[in-house]
Amino acid sequence: MSKTFDGKVVAVDGVTLDIAAGEFFSLLGPSGCGKTTSLRMIAGFEMPDAGRVHVGGQDITDVPVHRRDMGMVFQSYALFPHRTVVQNVAFGLRMRDVPRADIDRRVAAALAQVALTGMEDRRPSQLSGGQQQRVALARALVIEPRVLLCDEPLGALDRKLRQQMQFELKELQRRLGVTLVFVTHDQEEALAMSDRIAVMNRGRVEQVGAPTEIYGRPRTRFVADFIGEINLLEEAGKPRALRPEKIQLVPPAQARLSGTVETANFLGGATLYRVQAGGRIWLARETHAGERSPRSPGDPVGLAWNDADIVTLES
Amino acid sequence: MSFGVDRSIDLRHDTICMAAASHRPSPIAWLIAPAVLLFVLFFVLPFAVMAMMSVYSGNPVTNPNAYPTTRHYERFIFDTAGIFHDALWATLRIGLVTTVISLLIGYPLAHWMARMHSRLGHALALTAVIAPLLTGIVVRTFAWMTILQDKGVINTTLMSWGVIHKPLPLMYNEFGTVVALVHIYVPFMVLTLIGVIGRIDERLEQAARSLGAGRIRAFVEVTLPLSLPGILAGSLLVFALSISAYVTPSLMGGTEVLTLPMLIAQQVGTSFNPNFAGALGVVLLLVCLVIVIAYNRILARLSGEQGLA
Repeated sequence: MSKTFDGKVVAVDGVTLDIAAGEFFSLLGPSGCGKTTSLRMIAGFEMPDAGRVHVGGQDITDVPVHRRDMGMVFQSYALFPHRTVVQNVAFGLRMRDVPRADIDRRVAAALAQVALTGMEDRRPSQLSGGQQQRVALARALVIEPRVLLCDEPLGALDRKLRQQMQFELKELQRRLGVTLVFVTHDQEEALAMSDRIAVMNRGRVEQVGAPTEIYGRPRTRFVADFIGEINLLEEAGKPRALRPEKIQLVPPAQARLSGTVETANFLGGATLYRVQAGGRIWLARETHAGERSPRSPGDPVGLAWNDADIVTLES
Repeated sequence: MSFGVDRSIDLRHDTICMAAASHRPSPIAWLIAPAVLLFVLFFVLPFAVMAMMSVYSGNPVTNPNAYPTTRHYERFIFDTAGIFHDALWATLRIGLVTTVISLLIGYPLAHWMARMHSRLGHALALTAVIAPLLTGIVVRTFAWMTILQDKGVINTTLMSWGVIHKPLPLMYNEFGTVVALVHIYVPFMVLTLIGVIGRIDERLEQAARSLGAGRIRAFVEVTLPLSLPGILAGSLLVFALSISAYVTPSLMGGTEVLTLPMLIAQQVGTSFNPNFAGALGVVLLLVCLVIVIAYNRILARLSGEQGLA
């Protein structure tokens, strides 16, 4: 599908995504790469200029938003401020004319699912960010959508809470078996949660694959550079890439290249070094086994790696 | 004061600290002095004089024989002439109709403008809304007279087309008065509503739609209730302005329309009875006051119910 804005800016350019039922699928890319526009086309808020949207073999391109049966979680949660938690969650069921008793039962179940029992009569403004996030999730899930769409749902949470919600969301998605399309610019988040990731750049899909594949075998320079840290090399006119953790720091005598430590960033479980060697900067990550303290800037080090770990990128 | 403490836990403590801090007068508090002066000089003082006059038989400053009396209020309440109550009802009726029509015209316009993505479009629409305010009320009322009078644009056109044979009574009645008042006060409604509607997150309506509400249902369930404070504020403003309007009803209403402000002007200007005019002024103000209090009550209840406070 494609989408142009104002006839000039191409937001999404020939994106084809095949998302399997029950899959946790992420759209990952920098801001302005078209991931949100793609999601909004799936939701029905934007009409593709070209291309179709199919769900379960059914063409839904011309189906209006409110008949698509898709749950959506917004970055800002978009909770109704004038309604209580219960009223927020019950909204979708009410729109579907579900009988009162069923609504009560299903809302209670949904709130239990996201551990919000006891918060029923609060207003969104009386909840913490994480709780609001859960209400938004319960509100989208209670309608038992065919697809759950999430637009950077964890973006507004602090790091610790975000990590916890990553676990919870993934766990919930697996338990319910719902197909989830997740938009994020946070590569760690996408790697941690997804079954498969589509990395997008400038309206196009650069690569689709499982997290290990995307990380370990990036196809393009953009993917290699965007996901994690990487050393981009040029060998025989071809772009290549080598992950920092594939470089070992060894005594200069056993090294393929020797140089000096420029900076050492202590990351807790590992240290990320910038090493000046062979006329360029190399990134090398060393995990801390044992008590050895990190090297300091200025220390001489040798770099070693296995040629099999070098990935050749498309030029 | 607490610093860097988890807000969710320490909210109450924070609030207390903030309340305590707000007792200290701000160093720039004196900046409101001009406003206070203006308010006292041109509202409190004149109103005190007017209220005083309304309970005296004459001007107690110039006339030593003036004595306190309630006869002006009695005259209004018992209304033997049979025109004062009519004037009050006409005033309220014109105010109410003007407010409702302004709301019906203003709300869709304000909603459209608040949701407009094009900056240029928004600027142009805003200019169009504000432009009439740059022309004086008298000028705009005269413009309406040239359009609505018996030999005005509408009537001559319709008659030349043979649609009608004698002019439609478009002015010198409440209809013409309301038309002109709506034109004059719609900008106030629109400007009030734009602010409120513009602050409602568009994604709320999108969320409602993704949950199964059609566009209209999403509007009714989400945007409309959230814009109630704006609807109330805009209506209050337009109502207060139209029941106190003088120029437009007197020019557009002719002899058919008599509102309280016109009656007051008559009492001062032609009947030389400033004391009775004072009583009428107090009545008009009381009516306004009752409505403002009712408005505040309703708003407070809505805010309490909807957590909008």
